[in-house]
Amino acid sequence: MPGVEIPEVQDPADGLAAVVALRRLADRMEDAAVEQAMREGWSWPQVAEALGVTRQAVHKKHAKRLIAAGVQLRRR
Amino acid sequence: MKAFDEFLHLTLTQAGDEARREGSATIEAQHLLLAIAAGHESVTLDLLSSSGLGYEALREALHREFEHSLAAAGVRLAPSGPPSASPHPSRTLQMGASARTAIERGVFARHKKDLRPAHLLIGILGAEVGTVPRALALAGVDRHTLVTRAHATLPPAA
Repeated sequence: MPGVEIPEVQDPADGLAAVVALRRLADRMEDAAVEQAMREGWSWPQVAEALGVTRQAVHKKHAKRLIAAGVQLRRR
Repeated sequence: MKAFDEFLHLTLTQAGDEARREGSATIEAQHLLLAIAAGHESVTLDLLSSSGLGYEALREALHREFEHSLAAAGVRLAPSGPPSASPHPSRTLQMGASARTAIERGVFARHKKDLRPAHLLIGILGAEVGTVPRALALAGVDRHTLVTRAHATLPPAA
């Protein structure tokens, strides 16, 4: 994202709301990025390592969703 | 009381759908408000529409709040919006803190027999900070006037 810089937030309400919005965006980006990676044949350990979490954590969070979406998942 | 229970049940169910639709693991106050706007209870619908808050207008206001809050961190969404992902169809949703507070504020302090759907709306609109008041402010809605109108719909004892 060219040109992105974090402005100095003057109002604490804006700063706190930005935290909420960024978390929501990050969750959405995680769902989308994990799905894209698994559709392209990544393995759970690769996705987990890329996210910096355990394989169990990423599997628990996303496996049911991706199976329901018809994504072919690699075993390893 | 039975009518209120039914209203609350329907609203929570719809709020869960709203939360799932945006990929949220928790039901928050804005999902309750969207659920009321998507519902069929005439008093609360009239109150919201008196401020120009139909379901679509409310969704638009919440999206503007999202963009506005991201902008405070220097992030701008692409015109296509956030990246799309398949939903979590079977995820058990938790009640988020903002929804819990809204329900407590609007509902818990009342006698059960006095409860009306407007009480839930008052509880949601009573938040001074957070996503809902920010979205309404950005949409030019006077939240306090709306709360006053909501109180005026209640029977004297309620």
